[in-house]
Amino acid sequence: MEEQQLRTKMLETFRDVFGNPDLLVQDSTTADDVEGWDSLTHIDLIVALERAFRIKFTTGEVGKLANVGDLVSLIKSKTG
Amino acid sequence: MLKAPTCGLDYFDLIKKSKNRDFSSCSDTLRLAIIGDSATQQLASLLTVLFREQGIRLEVFEGPFDAIELQVHNPNSELYRFAADAILILNVTQALRNRYYRRPGSGVEFLRDELNRIASVWDVIRERCPAPIIQSNFVPPVERIFGNFDHKVADSLYAVVSALNVAIADAARSRAHVFINDVESIASYVGWGSWNDNRFWNMYKVFCALEHLPLVAQNIVDVTLSVRGRAVKCVVLDLDNTLWGGVIGDDGVEGIALSAHGDGESFYEFQLFLKEIQKRGILLAVCSKNNLENALKPFLEHKDMALRREDITVFVANWENKADNIKRIRETLNIGFDSMVFLDDNPFERNLVRTILPDVIVPELPEEPADYVGAISKLNLFETSAFSAEDTKRTELYRQRAERMEAQSSYGSIEEYLQSLDTQITVGRFVPRHIPRIAQLFQRSNQFNLTTRRRSQAECEEFMQDPSCYPIYAELKDRLGDHGLISIVVGRHEDDRLLLSDWLMSCRVLTRGVEQFVMNHIVEYAARHNYGWIDAEYRPSAKNAMVKDFYAQFGFVKLADPGDGNAKWRLEVAAYKPATVFMRSLEAEAVAPATV
Repeated sequence: MEEQQLRTKMLETFRDVFGNPDLLVQDSTTADDVEGWDSLTHIDLIVALERAFRIKFTTGEVGKLANVGDLVSLIKSKTG
Repeated sequence: MLKAPTCGLDYFDLIKKSKNRDFSSCSDTLRLAIIGDSATQQLASLLTVLFREQGIRLEVFEGPFDAIELQVHNPNSELYRFAADAILILNVTQALRNRYYRRPGSGVEFLRDELNRIASVWDVIRERCPAPIIQSNFVPPVERIFGNFDHKVADSLYAVVSALNVAIADAARSRAHVFINDVESIASYVGWGSWNDNRFWNMYKVFCALEHLPLVAQNIVDVTLSVRGRAVKCVVLDLDNTLWGGVIGDDGVEGIALSAHGDGESFYEFQLFLKEIQKRGILLAVCSKNNLENALKPFLEHKDMALRREDITVFVANWENKADNIKRIRETLNIGFDSMVFLDDNPFERNLVRTILPDVIVPELPEEPADYVGAISKLNLFETSAFSAEDTKRTELYRQRAERMEAQSSYGSIEEYLQSLDTQITVGRFVPRHIPRIAQLFQRSNQFNLTTRRRSQAECEEFMQDPSCYPIYAELKDRLGDHGLISIVVGRHEDDRLLLSDWLMSCRVLTRGVEQFVMNHIVEYAARHNYGWIDAEYRPSAKNAMVKDFYAQFGFVKLADPGDGNAKWRLEVAAYKPATVFMRSLEAEAVAPATV
């Protein structure tokens, strides 16, 4: 998958999960920067991304995520 | 579920809907406390949406994570301060398994301790709070330490979980305030392979894959609604291609597909299922486009009809439209449209009924008759919160009622008719043997219910034992049949007044003079105990408009009217004029010979 395509799809998922159609994120964005991104919605986000990209994250991978950039690299590595 | 949620049961759709906080469609509120040893936040969000779909605004208290016993054993805990209408206890297999692996003794001892823990939680709650308890059971673990041999080792985790589910069900049977949230059956239906997502247990203490949580939430809604009295009371059945294959008018008794073996077995099985539902206390009615003679033939002549004519409370076969016929059935039985299910293989008829009578529950039926039972069972339409001997007699009672309505038209006046029935009534204070039926009537009665307070069995027992209470029931029988216990009134002594907090009656004895008889009885009681006044209440619900001015006919005067529909009424005991009644009191008769 092209990186741009991946980022677009990811942003759509973010907007959907956080219920904000205007949401913008950068690689440096963390949970603290996004309204409504708490431990509860984090689970929804992980499952929604898994569903959107038809991938599975491991608990170790999820535990290491620090920001949106980490998430992009992780999804990239899983979608080839 | 009674009405399928319009949004379906997709996790993400429901979560999105949970962000909408508009509850203006809700006519009712429910305070639900959730305590569990797993995360409950997602479940709480889903429950909020699914209860709203049923017209109920949910107010949730979520106990702190894994603090069931802390909340329950502390009399000042947030749990009790919340004053819940229902308490949901969520025990999950993952937490149980962790304790099992650290058990100091044998698996069998562990099982005993776990059961004691759970039952003592119920019993402590019961002492402090009248709310019904909804207890989850356990999904069997994925581990098979001994393989298939697990079943033969009583100490194995697998055997312990199986035995614990049986023990929980057994313990709940003797506690009327405890209901089971059968998570095990949902997991089995989904399949354990798909059910579990252990990553989310490890990371967030979520007990199953998120996509299956809505099924658990809907199951909880189903149980809660039934505890609050919502229930299907009648199934209306089509005949051709629903109860048998083919068209009786064309194919004749010999030609229709219906057999205990071979061709037509699906229909036979479906009838057996319906018969079981009927035995449980749900009424069956027939609504068929046929002439009556043809429609009745299989019931009278076919050897493999599991359903017989006497199993059908109201039998309607004509060429009029089915919505009008269902209206007629409803009038005869005097139940709400929303307590009726209509089963018909014909999509046209289903749509017609759905359009004209939107409150009637009309499930889709699959084309394959072999799938009828599965499709209907999946909807969990027949959830209930009580089962008593009364239920098994219901069909008979209602059939007599239907016959009586036919007889009624041949009498000149209603008085003449009532007198001809030789009605006998028994009014008495609550007694232990009647408590299950009394609690059930509190849950079921909607239309003739002045305050719609859903009293639990525990509360009924408290009324019974409280000397400052005057809780009475009425039983009715007549020439045509025994109606059983059909009315309840709860009075409370307060200074010079008798306070009526509850008054309800089964609608099947409406217009018989029961309420007049009971009012005479109460006023007489009040006079005997030197009360100057009787105070009473009316609280509006979605269904009880018929009794809005119930007290006015007896000379009660309306007091405060806060404008929200709630009303308080007062009667001066000395000014009461006894109502005319057409029935004999059985107790009075029993006493009479001794006084002569």
